[in-house]
Amino acid sequence: MQLAVNVAVLAAIYALISCGYVLIYRVSRVLSLAHGELMMLGAYGLAVTASLFVGHPLIAIGSAALLSVLVGVLVYVLLMRRMTGESVLAAVLTTIALGILLRGGMVLAFGTQTQYPLQQLGWINASLPVGPSARISAAGLLLVLATALVYAGLFAFLRMTRWGIRMRAAGQNPLLAAQRGIRLHGVYALAWGLATFSGGIAGMLLACDAGVEATLATIGLKAFPAALVGGLDSLAGALIGSLVIAFVEVALISYVDPLLSDVVPFFVLLAMLVVRPWGLFGTREELDRV
Amino acid sequence: MTAPRASGYFRIRYDDDIALVRTRTQRVWLGVLALALAGFPFLANSVLLDLANQVLLVSIGAVALMLLTGFAGQISLGHAGLLAVGAFTTGILFKELAAPFWITLPASAVAGALVGLVFGLPSLRLRGLYLAVSTLALHFMVLHAGQEYETRRGLSSGVVIDPPSLFGFALQDGRAWYVVLLAASTATVLLSLNLLRTKTGRSWRAIHGREAVAEAMGIQVPVAKLSAFIVSCTLTSAAGCLAAYYRGFVSAEAFPLFVTIQYVATVIIGGIGSLLGALLGTLFVVLFPQAIEASMNALGLTDRLSSMIFAINQAAFGVAMILFLVFEPQGLVGIWRRIQAWFLLWPFGQKPLGRP
Amino acid sequence: MKKILSAALVAFAGTQAVPASAQDAYTVGVSAAMTGPGAGIYAPVVEAMRIYIDHVNSRGGVNGKQVRLVVLDDGAEPSRAAANAKKLTQDNVLMLVNSSLSSTYAPMVAESKRANIPLYFAGSVCPKETYPPADPLQFCSSAFGANLDSQGALAFVKAQAKEPVRIGFEAMAIPISRAEIDYAEALSKTMGMTPVEKQISPPPAPDYTPYASKLKDANPNWVYSWAPWVAQVRTFEALRRLGWSGRYITWAHLNAEEELARIKDGEFYVIGTNALFQDDLPIQAEIRALTHRAKLTYPTSYLTEGFIAGKVIESALKATAWPATPQKLLASMNNLKVDLQGLRGGPLEWTPDNHFRTRQHYRVWRWDTTKNAIVRVQDWQAIEVKRP
Repeated sequence: MQLAVNVAVLAAIYALISCGYVLIYRVSRVLSLAHGELMMLGAYGLAVTASLFVGHPLIAIGSAALLSVLVGVLVYVLLMRRMTGESVLAAVLTTIALGILLRGGMVLAFGTQTQYPLQQLGWINASLPVGPSARISAAGLLLVLATALVYAGLFAFLRMTRWGIRMRAAGQNPLLAAQRGIRLHGVYALAWGLATFSGGIAGMLLACDAGVEATLATIGLKAFPAALVGGLDSLAGALIGSLVIAFVEVALISYVDPLLSDVVPFFVLLAMLVVRPWGLFGTREELDRV
Repeated sequence: MTAPRASGYFRIRYDDDIALVRTRTQRVWLGVLALALAGFPFLANSVLLDLANQVLLVSIGAVALMLLTGFAGQISLGHAGLLAVGAFTTGILFKELAAPFWITLPASAVAGALVGLVFGLPSLRLRGLYLAVSTLALHFMVLHAGQEYETRRGLSSGVVIDPPSLFGFALQDGRAWYVVLLAASTATVLLSLNLLRTKTGRSWRAIHGREAVAEAMGIQVPVAKLSAFIVSCTLTSAAGCLAAYYRGFVSAEAFPLFVTIQYVATVIIGGIGSLLGALLGTLFVVLFPQAIEASMNALGLTDRLSSMIFAINQAAFGVAMILFLVFEPQGLVGIWRRIQAWFLLWPFGQKPLGRP
Repeated sequence: MKKILSAALVAFAGTQAVPASAQDAYTVGVSAAMTGPGAGIYAPVVEAMRIYIDHVNSRGGVNGKQVRLVVLDDGAEPSRAAANAKKLTQDNVLMLVNSSLSSTYAPMVAESKRANIPLYFAGSVCPKETYPPADPLQFCSSAFGANLDSQGALAFVKAQAKEPVRIGFEAMAIPISRAEIDYAEALSKTMGMTPVEKQISPPPAPDYTPYASKLKDANPNWVYSWAPWVAQVRTFEALRRLGWSGRYITWAHLNAEEELARIKDGEFYVIGTNALFQDDLPIQAEIRALTHRAKLTYPTSYLTEGFIAGKVIESALKATAWPATPQKLLASMNNLKVDLQGLRGGPLEWTPDNHFRTRQHYRVWRWDTTKNAIVRVQDWQAIEVKRP
């Protein structure tokens, strides 16, 4: 039972982060390798707002979330917009360069000490029982809930609202969508904003669990196999992929060797790429154009 | 991008077309370069010599990556893994068997070729982004293997290697290294230039352009792809071996993802599809942090910010990469060609082709 | 643009000139992980060292000469450390100081051997070459003692335990932590304890609960961890959240005093060699005053290690007559005894054979929930450091 809880929490972390990768890729065919750093920026944002709005934790969280969205939109408008039409490698490298820039910038701005936003918010990460024999931390529970809410929200958004349908259209065939009058730049900016928002939520919850420090960004890279295994342009795939990867990791830790848990996700990724490159639920595609 | 030429330059024989040095101007400048490179170690102090050695060392890996990514179009994010393969082969052979230099270098090259084959296998099924991701995954696996070796053998701070001895002459001095690295770098560049002139190089260019068309023309696409990977990885692995000897040690922490990104930056900033670009990119990436530190020194900010230099370097590097990617997609080579064209066409300064 | 160009030219010219001030001061070169991974552990050490040396300089310096500390950031990257070491030996430093990750050791050792100047590890984990029989050029004052820490911790566990000990272990997947825990596991068997489980977590682990689950399932009554603080504390927190109620002993890093107050768990023990600031020693009041004046961003409790390093440097230089050469400094370091005024359990002593210290003293603390304060559970216990 505890195993299932552990898998659920880890899968929730990966799913929240992968959702960002998938959103951006699906809508604009760009693989954003800066997502880990953007997630860390969200976590630092919470640390900042928590210390600004002492005594009003909900306002702090809300403003941190809004900040994430804003940062995502800004990243698109100021940077990624200029890379439309360039080669795949150039766009990916731009995101990598952005990630490097953010890492250096965050160290300069916030220093190298670990910060604990949970303390500043005034809350405690309690332990809650699940069933007769398992326990889950409050942060873990929130992660699972947040994942469920974010995914449900995104599904509803993409299927039922106008902007969601526009996003799907732009992802399927940008040329046709543009000719139909859909503002591509607006759609892309929205996608980046939503992706950074979900990444920021993941970062904030991780920060509540463990504190914010400079190595948080590498977790973004660990969520990468989850997104790819499920299919880079499928949200359902991201969810399933995260569950698969989380299960493999936790099972390895419990039954085989904890050391392998770091490298086996990449084995799974490689196997999936060789057998079925577009993932479990992705669409077969030309695989190399932006 | 090819170099602009003045009018009156005609090629009337096939030999002229495939020659490496074609005009008298080129011959003159090549002579000047050779003189400068030969005289450099006698005029430079050891800080500059060390920098030059670093540039030469990185240039080998950069040229190898340019062959793979710039010419053959196979995106590879596993470059640091290949360097690690060469370095670890050297380290393991040295530690376990006390192997000398003239065994470890070929062994590293062979190891690189084998690993290159493995890295290249996904390229037969994948392209672009997915290929990049598969090379990334392989990079992590190589590093994991390296770390496991370090831990199992109790070498928690890496493997220390003695300086290599070449013909009974230990390589420790900066000048000695300069000669060796210059020779290695020149050999790599010549090898690459020759490869590019032959059928292999042309088949790489063809698959970079359009794979389907290349296949229709009768080029064996899988062979071309694998040969690109194998050649590039062999060179990179040899560079890793040299790097291990130069630094005097091997450790898995010396090959993080950032190293790969730096090499890819040399290719991109230098300009894809040009060996000159690889060299210019190398100069930029190696000298950029020094320039940042020097300007910080001059602006008098060192005392307050010396503890933050690394972070500043990172941030500045990110900014520089972004600026190049956004504003100068053809890289330093593009800038260089524009300068050449301006001089050539003066006073008829027209807008160069290739920019809207 | 012009400014940058002129700055570059000036800098280039500057690399050719010899700095004039170097001749009038004792120059010490430091390569440290001021940024990058692990900076949280090493940067405070260097900052504290800097403040102490500034304080010494303001009181007239050592032997009437100022001490010049040149600090270069290597971001825990071996190639940068190599470059820094080369640059520092250019600068004619009397000794090299390393305060960075273990991957930076080899290049600095190579450079110190080449230039034949001593290499001092301050705050970074002591390499085994500093233990007897010691390498002639390597010295170390850092609190961590490979194998000694485990000996101290397990001795404490044995003394405290009232029932047979089932002990679990936690390491981080870095060679140094794994080696130590492997040693501790073997040692525990010889001491009559039953090692029940050993977990190794990778450095960037998003969630420590799976590792803690495995540990908890083995039902240990004690768990020992020797790893970077993040692995130690997060495993503990995960264990507690899973409902484990055993006792956890772990190494006291720089932030131990703060963290004990944050965690507030009565069965969380830390073992360490440096006195805590709640002891209110006169030297600690001095440290507080100095750091307050310098307006450091780190909490004062992080700075003990750096001050110890500063004192060591001061003592070593004091015994080096002017004009100083690395050889004279080496001679003084080979016979050094530094009074640490209570910051550790005893004075720091180096001998030609032992560049670590002759005795390692340990204290153990925990948080007392009734008194709402940190209490000391074991006073200074000495372990002799001898040849194997």
